[in-house]
Amino acid sequence: MTNEAITSVDLGRLRFFLGEVLTNFTRNAGMQFTAIGTVAVTIVLLGAFLFVRDTIQTFGAGVLSQIEIAVYLKDDVDDAKAKDLASKFAGDPRIASASYVPKKDGLKRMKAVLGPDFDTSLLTTNPLPNTYKVRVKDPDSVPAVARWIAKDPRVAKTDYAADTVQKLLKAATVLGRVGLALIILLSISAAIVIANTIRLTVFARRREIAIMQLVGATNMYIRMPFIAEGMLAGVLGAGLAIGVLALAEHQVVPKLASTLAFVTFRVNELTLSLELLAVGAAVGLIASWFSVGRHLRT
Amino acid sequence: MIRLRGVSLTYPNGTRALDDVDLEIEKGTFVFLVGHSGTGKSSLLKLLYREEVPTRGEVVVDGIRVDTLRRGRVPKLRRNIGVVFQDFKLLSHKTVWENVAFALQVTGTRTRDVMRMVPRALDLVGLSHKSRMFPSELSGGEQQRTAIARALVGNPKILLCDEPTGNLDPSNTTEIMELLQRINLKGTTVVVATHNQSTVDRMRRRVVRLEHGRILHDDERGYYFRGLGQTAVLPG
Repeated sequence: MTNEAITSVDLGRLRFFLGEVLTNFTRNAGMQFTAIGTVAVTIVLLGAFLFVRDTIQTFGAGVLSQIEIAVYLKDDVDDAKAKDLASKFAGDPRIASASYVPKKDGLKRMKAVLGPDFDTSLLTTNPLPNTYKVRVKDPDSVPAVARWIAKDPRVAKTDYAADTVQKLLKAATVLGRVGLALIILLSISAAIVIANTIRLTVFARRREIAIMQLVGATNMYIRMPFIAEGMLAGVLGAGLAIGVLALAEHQVVPKLASTLAFVTFRVNELTLSLELLAVGAAVGLIASWFSVGRHLRT
Repeated sequence: MIRLRGVSLTYPNGTRALDDVDLEIEKGTFVFLVGHSGTGKSSLLKLLYREEVPTRGEVVVDGIRVDTLRRGRVPKLRRNIGVVFQDFKLLSHKTVWENVAFALQVTGTRTRDVMRMVPRALDLVGLSHKSRMFPSELSGGEQQRTAIARALVGNPKILLCDEPTGNLDPSNTTEIMELLQRINLKGTTVVVATHNQSTVDRMRRRVVRLEHGRILHDDERGYYFRGLGQTAVLPG
């Protein structure tokens, strides 16, 4: 308990401590596996949940930032008159850019997007109006800007998809809360399994604990090996979960990425892994702390 | 070294273990606590190392008020008190050496000091040559000597023994009692709770007799039964 004992590494003491932890850990191997498995399942679900949430968020934010207001002009507004609108748009600070798409370009674009299946030979006239594609700086101002533009006498109609996207994001938030509640419940059950495992170890070692108390070991010292044991179970469970998640990512993400080309998948593996390990260790720490604490209160 | 004043101890189930006990034990003395089972000998020892807290009264050990001691301070008190029991309380999966070292290791002693202190304690109890054996390979007397080495390895000022020879045959009993005397001669205060009459009568040390939780008599160089010492040691 002295300061010099802490600053200088005492290999003999370290070996004794690790020996105690290992003895504890191997004493209830079966229970220990259950504990590790429960933590692993919890953390796999947590990882999957975080991945889905992140994906929805990046997807939603990406779409939102690219929202265009389609401004359809009246038929009697020709190219020259339409160009005048550009200066009006340029004068508004909310608008990032405005590009003019004359009706003939619009048709070309449509052909390009829809491919050879789209047969234009049946069309006698071009049905598309002259159009402006307007982008705003702040996605939230889309409705206001669209309304302002619609008041212009040259404009027939404005259209944008913001409502849909915002509903999607709101749904993601709700989904996130439900998922989080589930994860918390699962973490609690994982903690209970660890706590029970530690209780068995404590029971198996009650003679040692009694002797430790008799010869004047502090409660903190008595606790340490059990806490290390709990944290070890938590970290091993988390490690297992990270392995499973890495495998899943390796298998699933490329397929998803090819199917849903417009979604960007962004996983920061290192940060996520460290976070999940920390969650595992924390669950083990809390569980074992309370489990031993109950026994030491004599 | 030890002072009890007006100490009573009533267990939660209503059993009155000690009733208004006054007792003073000087530094470096050897004291027998005698009396039938259930007269409060063990309870009195438990008060000294704070396994129990008195219902009433004052307990002072080595200048520390034990009855009001905060729980966090109990470990420090116990490092100053060695305790030995009838059932030895050794760890069966550890060797003699490891059992003795355990007391130091769990109180954060540096390995360098452990390596120095354990051989000294084993030498004192005469078990240096059996340090690699497990408790199951030892006789009862040797097991108790291991327990005594563990109790003494940290150099406590007080050694408390609760029926230390209760599980031993007469020759092992003599051996343990001689060891306790030697320890006492080195300056350690020794308190032995026992109902082994012949040992008490042979050794002629201070005898404190408890009866129904009260001190019945307290004699320097006393006998197990006051005044009956001569008859008690008659052969047969």
